[in-house]
Amino acid sequence: MNLLIQTLISGALIGAVYALMASGLTLIFGVMRVINLAHGAFAILAAFLTWTLWSQFGIDPIVAIPIVTLVMFGIGWLVYVGSVRYVRGAHVSMSVLVAFGIALVLEGIMGFVWGNTAHVVSAPYQSESIVLGPFYIREDALIAAGVAVLVLLALQLVLHRTWKGRAIRAASVNESGALLVGVSVNQVAAFAFAIGIGTLGAAGAMISVIYPFVPGSHYQWIARLLAIVVLGGLGSLSGAVIGALVIGMGELLATAYIGAQWPIAVPFLVIFIVLLVRPQGIRGTRLREDAVA
Amino acid sequence: MSAPVTDRVHPLLSKKVLTWAGRGLLLLGIVVIVLFPLSPSRSAQNTVILALVLAIGATGLNIITGYAGYLALSQGAFLGIGAYVAAIMSRTLTVVDDRGITVPAISPFVWIPLAGIVAAIIASLLALVTYRTRGPSFVIITIAFLFLVQFIAVQWVPVTNGTAGITMPLPDWPREFGRWPFHLVLVAVLALALLTSWAIRRSKFGTGLIAIREDEGKAGTVGINAPVYKILAFGASALFTGMAGAVYGYYVTFVDPINMFSILVSVQMVLAVILGGRGTLFGPVLGAFIIEPANALANGAFGGGNSRLVLFGALLILLVILLPKGIIPSVAGLIERLRTRGTVGLSGARLSVVERPLPPAVDRPAPSSKPLLEVRGLYRSFGGNKAVNDCSFTVPEGSITALIGPNGSGKTTVFNLISGSMTAERGEILLDGERIDTLAPWSRAHRGIGRTFQITRLFKEMTVLENVVAPLRDFSVKQLGAGAVSGSEARRAEELLDFVGMAAYRDARAGSLSYGQQKLVELAQVLMLDPKLILLDEPAGGINPTLIERMGGLIRELNQQGTTFLLVEHNMPFVLGLCDPIRVLARGSVIAEGNPDEIQRNPAVLDAYLGDDFLLTGESKTGSVPAVDWTKK
Repeated sequence: MNLLIQTLISGALIGAVYALMASGLTLIFGVMRVINLAHGAFAILAAFLTWTLWSQFGIDPIVAIPIVTLVMFGIGWLVYVGSVRYVRGAHVSMSVLVAFGIALVLEGIMGFVWGNTAHVVSAPYQSESIVLGPFYIREDALIAAGVAVLVLLALQLVLHRTWKGRAIRAASVNESGALLVGVSVNQVAAFAFAIGIGTLGAAGAMISVIYPFVPGSHYQWIARLLAIVVLGGLGSLSGAVIGALVIGMGELLATAYIGAQWPIAVPFLVIFIVLLVRPQGIRGTRLREDAVA
Repeated sequence: MSAPVTDRVHPLLSKKVLTWAGRGLLLLGIVVIVLFPLSPSRSAQNTVILALVLAIGATGLNIITGYAGYLALSQGAFLGIGAYVAAIMSRTLTVVDDRGITVPAISPFVWIPLAGIVAAIIASLLALVTYRTRGPSFVIITIAFLFLVQFIAVQWVPVTNGTAGITMPLPDWPREFGRWPFHLVLVAVLALALLTSWAIRRSKFGTGLIAIREDEGKAGTVGINAPVYKILAFGASALFTGMAGAVYGYYVTFVDPINMFSILVSVQMVLAVILGGRGTLFGPVLGAFIIEPANALANGAFGGGNSRLVLFGALLILLVILLPKGIIPSVAGLIERLRTRGTVGLSGARLSVVERPLPPAVDRPAPSSKPLLEVRGLYRSFGGNKAVNDCSFTVPEGSITALIGPNGSGKTTVFNLISGSMTAERGEILLDGERIDTLAPWSRAHRGIGRTFQITRLFKEMTVLENVVAPLRDFSVKQLGAGAVSGSEARRAEELLDFVGMAAYRDARAGSLSYGQQKLVELAQVLMLDPKLILLDEPAGGINPTLIERMGGLIRELNQQGTTFLLVEHNMPFVLGLCDPIRVLARGSVIAEGNPDEIQRNPAVLDAYLGDDFLLTGESKTGSVPAVDWTKK
């Protein structure tokens, strides 16, 4: 029983970080119907940036979060303007290839710059734990979860309390409608893409402490993130949060009860089962396909 | 497009010269590829062998991605599965030779067909379980499939030897044969793959796949059994890929999960298909023979690894943005533009609608009281919105029945439930006394229900004629192999096009027609099914008055020949002049029924739909469109 509760606590903490990462993926899909297969690669890029800030300038990952977030926001904007812009609204089989191309380019560049050896940032709180009765709570995971919750709340505020946020939501519900009422969907999409990558930067800074990473780690991350958004329902933000918690706990439960190899397979099994049984996910709605726009 | 070709076309661009130039290039390509092992460069030989493997995989992928329009990132998995089948069989069936060394009992080449069949079966199973999955979900599921297969190859140690992989035996032929056996076997498999791809494209099966690519929902309503088509297409796409995998594993002598199931292999296949041209026969081969040398260059000159990733990534991005159609279609388009420069195409021609006299409005035979279609207690909701709520009505055999009602009253949803595009939550639908509400759309089409759509849904990339011959009246495996446009069918299709007055457009691309023209072609397309019952969703919506009159005439003529109609329409003069009986739908259920006179006087109908200022006066002169007074009382 204690093992179960311990696993669920750890799973929920890591799930919060997953939620922050997946929120950008689902936001980007919602606004421009692009499955950003490069999302994992951007996360690893943020982790490498954090590593450089830490190893070159001695900046603690927590302090690095605002810097990395801003830099990733800028990179996201540039990548959108340079490539994704051209396939927004194109058939998904086209946009998904561009996104995959971006992932490959990023993987290659990271390999050139940082090499293909495993990196990890060591912070003072890395191997510390808070003891709560019979349970241990990893400090780094706790801090990461706290950061994730704060950034997610900030994202909610932006989406629901600002004009730009409303424009993003309008564009994701009905693009032509948004265009008609004066929303420049292209600008909004650029902003949404940059926000998605920027918030991912915050999460990437945190995972650099928790997981060792190489450029090729992005496959594992994109698989996990896809499983989360598929489970939650493509395009749904609340679904992404629920999906992230389920996957976070599920992975640790699989490790604890089945075997250390199984977390790798969890995301793929989840994707398979969800898409076959309930294609719209937990929070997605099935739209009328016959209705005309 | 059969744009008239004038004598202004440059002699080098004449059809004959182009045909022979194409054949010459093809022949040159074949000779160079077949005889390539004569080349002194070992590394070039290696590149060509790998390009052949890639070309086979890409040709297979083209069947599902190019023809059926499903992007799959799982194609590399079938190459790996084929390699594993050959490796596992070679490792299992061994003998001890006279020197006391354990060797495979027979050449690994023997396992090539088995490798293909296993890959095809697994691909068909994938298509079977994913038959409802489309668009983004399908792409994601193929990635998940690839990684799951890799996971199984890693975990199933007793059979696959896990991450350590399986080492294949060295070739058992004399040294002087060199790589010729690998090369020739791959050339043969590629030839088979291309032959299959060609045969599919020319058959009914191929037309069905393209219909699925253009509009899968619509394909169902004209009788195309999409799941079966997809299962067969997946099997065909993996068959030769699996065979190539067996040769590939033997050639590289080492089969392991990391290299065999690398997603980069799938990406290269996708790249080859897009670069050469999706849906073209030779495009994937051309693409493969560009991609593989580029790959070799990145590996050799730039140290492989990271530069290869950057190269393929950048290529993927640039290709999709700058050359999304691929080389072959782009070049063909360019030549066609040069050829037809200064000539006038058909699309600017005016449609003269009344090419044939319309039948007079004789008293049609009184509809029998026997219902052809019966709808009982139908329910369907979208979230909290009960779009169809306890809806019951009948369509008498031989009638032109109208379903009218305010916007949002559930008319189109009722159509979707009857044609099978959606399934009802409760209720029964009977055609000729037989329950059809659990049948798939194509089965309903086979039983005699044809429908058109409010916004026309033709297969836009096909010609008008191909659109009209696309519908299938039944399903049989034999029929899949039949030619796409066979003689008797083409004649029937031309008759139907003549009937709707669109014969002059038979070779025009459907997407280039005007909206009204598309409506007429869609009617001809539905007629190809020889339906007992035709559902028309706003046949008079969005088209000009002459065409409305024409449409009314066609409906009346078909009805006199015995076809029953159920139509949804907002044009009240059109409905009142044409239809009897009329069913009025409001908030998802039928609130009134009767003949046009009764309906116009029914207070419930006036309240819910027509409005109390509705006034229709004057008797129909031509019988097609009665005069109307829309002024207020």
